[in-house]
Amino acid sequence: MTLFAVTRLELRRLFVRPLGWTIAALALAELGWRFALLLQIFLLNQVKLAALPDGPGYTDLVAVRLLSSLITGSTLPFGLIELALLLVPLLTMSSLASERSAGTLPLLFSTGLSPASILLGKYLAVLTWLALWLLFALAVPVSLAHGVTLDWGMLGAATLGTFLALAVLAAIGVACSAFASHSAVAAVTAFMFGLALNCVNLGAQLAGINIGFINWLAMSTHQENLLRGLVSSTDVTWFLLAIGVALALGIRRLAAEGERG
Amino acid sequence: MNAPKPALPPVLQLEQVSRSRAGRPAVRDLSLRLHAGQILGLLGVNGAGKSTTLSLIAGALRPDSGAIRLQDRDFLEHPELARQAIGWLPEAAPLWPELTLREHLNAHGRLRGLTGARLKEAGDAVLERLELKDMSRRLAGVLSQGQRQRLGLACALLHRPALLVLDEPANALDPVQVVALRKLLRDLAAEGIAVILSTHQLSEVTAVCDRVAVLHEGVLRYDAPLPADQHAALEKTFFDIAMHGRAQAA
Repeated sequence: MTLFAVTRLELRRLFVRPLGWTIAALALAELGWRFALLLQIFLLNQVKLAALPDGPGYTDLVAVRLLSSLITGSTLPFGLIELALLLVPLLTMSSLASERSAGTLPLLFSTGLSPASILLGKYLAVLTWLALWLLFALAVPVSLAHGVTLDWGMLGAATLGTFLALAVLAAIGVACSAFASHSAVAAVTAFMFGLALNCVNLGAQLAGINIGFINWLAMSTHQENLLRGLVSSTDVTWFLLAIGVALALGIRRLAAEGERG
Repeated sequence: MNAPKPALPPVLQLEQVSRSRAGRPAVRDLSLRLHAGQILGLLGVNGAGKSTTLSLIAGALRPDSGAIRLQDRDFLEHPELARQAIGWLPEAAPLWPELTLREHLNAHGRLRGLTGARLKEAGDAVLERLELKDMSRRLAGVLSQGQRQRLGLACALLHRPALLVLDEPANALDPVQVVALRKLLRDLAAEGIAVILSTHQLSEVTAVCDRVAVLHEGVLRYDAPLPADQHAALEKTFFDIAMHGRAQAA
């Protein structure tokens, strides 16, 4: 299928460019540092925690908190999601904007590929890269599984939430790249949209106002449930909806460009 | 007694094709036919509509009106026909600078439905034909302009298209490479591939084309076979159209 030919081409481009590797390496190094700090805090409090009935364990305090700062409640280095807000736009910025500036986009159109195939092919490549990144990040807490009791269900839900959040950010990034004529513009726009979507309810929360729709709109609301181990169809639907809207806008822009030439 | 052989349908047929760009008509009511083995030279001054015409033929643009038939099928209904039937080299060969020559061929091949051993064989053949074999592992970003142009041509030829669409293919080639390109185009035509090439250089057209079409302000002003040794006559026709908008009587 030619959609996968686009995915393969984009993956190849991601693998041979130093940017992708640099981003992945720096992010994993930062996450390693966060993991060490989380583990240190956990070990310091282990005795107290053990005395609590149903007290939080290694999964709650280390493994899940590696993924996001949402429920950390402390000033530790960024979790994976917070890093992704910044790094995913850097990864996606050139997916279509650079094709446009290099003049290769008309070549893709001339192979009879639909705008949807081109955009989805690119999106799948970025998603594959991010899935690998997530797996490497998860390998760190899972590597201690033989010595601790891991709550696999909770970790699974948190991983699902993180993957869906990465998928939303990737969809926004690819869509912004479809709109922008320069990679840098695509990166900045995607970062702003990602940040806004993640924190849209922050102002209201700080002011002590609880508005249902604003909370529903925020990605952090849905992600938090999953990070706490609660998988609900409402939250998963929100993520799928956000991905669908971003990709549909990107496809529409690409189709208009194909028409306009 | 053998029945007379029916004439083969043209590889490419444009009927009253029009297309606007940036709010002004770039191509108006263009009708053209091209048969297998023909080499058509498309001439015109800057802004005459040559690149738009080639983009329409290559499937990168859709016409506002008119019909395009490719291998006797409606190309607008079936844009996927371009995948196998057309090889396109746009002006200034667009490439991915971070990929090697071989990776370019692999990517183009997969986008055009080639896989596995067929892809490898086609890649080897085209690298050999365009004398790029020694540099197959080189990154496209470090190639000279001439090498980039040859790689673009290799990508366009990889899947053995029925129609080759070339926009200024001799750009940035040195005289030796220009001669090699002319020979290549004649060989391809002899193999039955239809070629349409746009150029500013009349010498290119007289050297390889057997037909010439002149566009002016998006309108086809001249379309005729090009007999040998007609460089002077073609030069006069071209400049008449470029200066006065129409061919003058001799």
